[in-house]
Amino acid sequence: MPHVMTQPALPVGHYAYDSVDRTFLKQRVAQFKDQVERRLSGALTEEEFKPLRLMNGLYLQLHAYMLRVAIPYGVLDAAQMRTLAHIARTYDRDYGHFTTRQNIQFNWIRLEDTPEILTVLAEADMHAIQTSGNCIRNVTADQFAGAAADEVLDPRVYAEILRQWSTLHPEFTFLPRKFKIAISGSKQDRVAARFHDIGLIAREGENGRPVFEVFVGGGLGRTPAIGTRLRDDLPEEDLIAYLEAILRVYNAHGRRDNIYKARIKILVQALGAEEFFNQVNAEFSAMDRARYRLPEATVEAIRARFGTPDFAPAGDAAEKLNAQRKADQVFDAWVATNTHAHKQPGYCSVTVSCKPTGGIPGDVTSAQMDLLADLAERYSFGELRITHLQNVVLGHVRQDALYEVWQALAQNGLGTANIGFMTDIIACPGLDYCALANARSIPIAQKLSARFGSADLQRKIGPLRLNISGCINACGHHHAGHIGILGVDKRGEEAFQITLGGSSGGEDASIGQILGSAMSEDETVDAIARIIDTYLSRRTAGERFIETCRRLGTAPFKDAAYAPA
Amino acid sequence: MPLLENGQIIQDTWQIAVEDTPLPAGDVLVPLARLSEGLGRNEEARLGVVLNSADEIEALREALPRLDLVVLSFPVFRDGRPFTQARALREHLHFKGEIRAGGHILPDQYEFLLRCGVTTVSLPEGVDLSVWQHAHEAFTVAYQPSILNEQPEGFAFRRRLA
Amino acid sequence: MDRRNNRRDAEGISVVTANRLLDGRIVWLGADGQWKTVIQDAEPYANSAIEDVLQRCNARAQQEALVGIYGVQVTRTVSGLQPVTSRERIRAAGPSVHPDFTPDWPTHQPALHA
Ligand code: SF4
Repeated sequence: MPHVMTQPALPVGHYAYDSVDRTFLKQRVAQFKDQVERRLSGALTEEEFKPLRLMNGLYLQLHAYMLRVAIPYGVLDAAQMRTLAHIARTYDRDYGHFTTRQNIQFNWIRLEDTPEILTVLAEADMHAIQTSGNCIRNVTADQFAGAAADEVLDPRVYAEILRQWSTLHPEFTFLPRKFKIAISGSKQDRVAARFHDIGLIAREGENGRPVFEVFVGGGLGRTPAIGTRLRDDLPEEDLIAYLEAILRVYNAHGRRDNIYKARIKILVQALGAEEFFNQVNAEFSAMDRARYRLPEATVEAIRARFGTPDFAPAGDAAEKLNAQRKADQVFDAWVATNTHAHKQPGYCSVTVSCKPTGGIPGDVTSAQMDLLADLAERYSFGELRITHLQNVVLGHVRQDALYEVWQALAQNGLGTANIGFMTDIIACPGLDYCALANARSIPIAQKLSARFGSADLQRKIGPLRLNISGCINACGHHHAGHIGILGVDKRGEEAFQITLGGSSGGEDASIGQILGSAMSEDETVDAIARIIDTYLSRRTAGERFIETCRRLGTAPFKDAAYAPA
Repeated sequence: MPLLENGQIIQDTWQIAVEDTPLPAGDVLVPLARLSEGLGRNEEARLGVVLNSADEIEALREALPRLDLVVLSFPVFRDGRPFTQARALREHLHFKGEIRAGGHILPDQYEFLLRCGVTTVSLPEGVDLSVWQHAHEAFTVAYQPSILNEQPEGFAFRRRLA
Repeated sequence: MDRRNNRRDAEGISVVTANRLLDGRIVWLGADGQWKTVIQDAEPYANSAIEDVLQRCNARAQQEALVGIYGVQVTRTVSGLQPVTSRERIRAAGPSVHPDFTPDWPTHQPALHA
């Protein structure tokens, strides 16, 4: 039997707030309350209020306000998850939506309730600060941080340092456009570092302190771009100073006349990587470096606010698991897809699929949130992670507890064994909710999920990333999907374009190519089925979908997609 | 226009250069294009310059020791360039004089301005000063170093705001 | 606001829509000058007249606590007024993936926070 866990004093996996942090959050809530009052009185116009509410994660969407709550580096504890469940039940319609930025969105929020909701969040050390707006957004990190067998160092400590540094930054709160930072601590880039405004990959340096590889100017959206490597070995103590330098160059020179050309990637392209690098270096040399130095002591002070799991000896956990896998094929299939190797013998990380067959990717009900909180408390040191693929991770589960975890998940619609497979779809909210959308992302995701839902079929197809965005803003990362779907507007009607050959991971990051003209929803689903057939008939032994795409090019898939029915 | 400094409304004694008209006597503010004309004045009076948000701070390097005031202008509150201009003036050029922010500014930006090195803000006539005061007192802690070199608050980069 | 929301033909009819500032919900301008939650209660105007109506509504937007006022082209069908674009049909009907969340979904009562 897995032992019952005692909860450590500090939360495992995320920074523990102290009284100063709590005071700050209260003050931030009071400030927002005041801003709402000034809006209602007319002291603030809608044009003035909008950027202020966005900086607190509040959008006006198609049907109502949407509140995006920050989950820094995707990590939250059981009590925080229960707070989210409470908000879903009390102020929303009993569900929430996990996003590709590792945050959660509530779709039916009232402006007048928002100060109260923020108060409830603050009581759980949570907030919605900078989850939107033209500022530095929630810093994302590897969902297996602190657990993965292949990890070099835990990026969350640095993600937290960046979170704090960027919070209400006096200089960088009115940038030309939003600014996204991701950080990974393993060679296997699980954060799509090359698709961020700044992507950081940390590794051990020579003096025992980390150094960072720095990528800048990557991103999806209207002009997809793979980030340029600015530094290979930025020392830890210069991390903040160097980011300040990059952001100053961007704030001063990023375009403000055209929102579609305002991201840093456009500036990097316009100046050329070398000139941009020179400008950053000029700023970096001219600034008061001592002021922005990140001392080892600061890193360690932040690290000391993170709880670490108190692992039990492995014992015979692995053997038990093996026996259980042999006895139950369905469980065995789930373990094969939904678990990830842990650095601690006897443990593994579990990815809970929020993509049930035919379901809405990333949506979870309040009851499911409560269940996840319970499971985290019982089996994973109270810690939960949200992934940028819109799933939930229980980071540290003993191997001999997996069977119980799986049963509880399966009974509550969370047991789908499809991680990394075709139905592990990323989909943005699309036209069902989003005011900017051209087309609905969710119904086409549901149709594809139902069509390819068979476990055998998915296994046969193998690893395949299918990403769907409802418009060119690319929140669903369609360009980074092996297959991407982009919603377009054809004279007021919804239509879809297919892209092929994208990939977000590491050295082989690539941008998907558009196959051809847009089609209706049903035509698109059929076209994708023919693309899959083409892959299955043309692949060589063991060749993954993306590899076949790269070997054959898009032509045969294009022919299949547009073949007359 | 009223000027806000340290929570007080103070008298603005500066005159603004009028286009196509010779510079008046006394303290005068000139646009960047007329900086050399201003510097050429044979006067005891003080000189200041008004920058657009697109202007480069570097252009002031030579003249700065002879300037008493730099005005940074917000064409719209969302244009955040003046924050970087203010910080560059303080941090790169070590400017010790007054930095004034003008144009379309929200009270919610006041603390940011101060932390970037701005000292005064010109406000529209009839403004409710209490909103600005309130904005200044809204937070007692900040999470990053600033040119004001505030006292550390506990650990890491946290700073205690006065 | 997105310009394409305001796209309309020279001919045809439109209704006026907005979101309520306080709760963000979609509303439609009725014949009595009141804002309705259901599009079937909206008053259709000739497209040629809509700019004037929008101007009048915008002048009262702050007072009436409304944001994002614009015109939506519709056609008359057997089932009533029907927007011509899929975006506006979804706005009028609610998200297609939650058929229960119609525009008259029970108005939520904020529970006392626990
Ligand atoms: S990609 Fe477009 S439709 Fe989807 S959430 Fe982003 S803005 Fe909305």
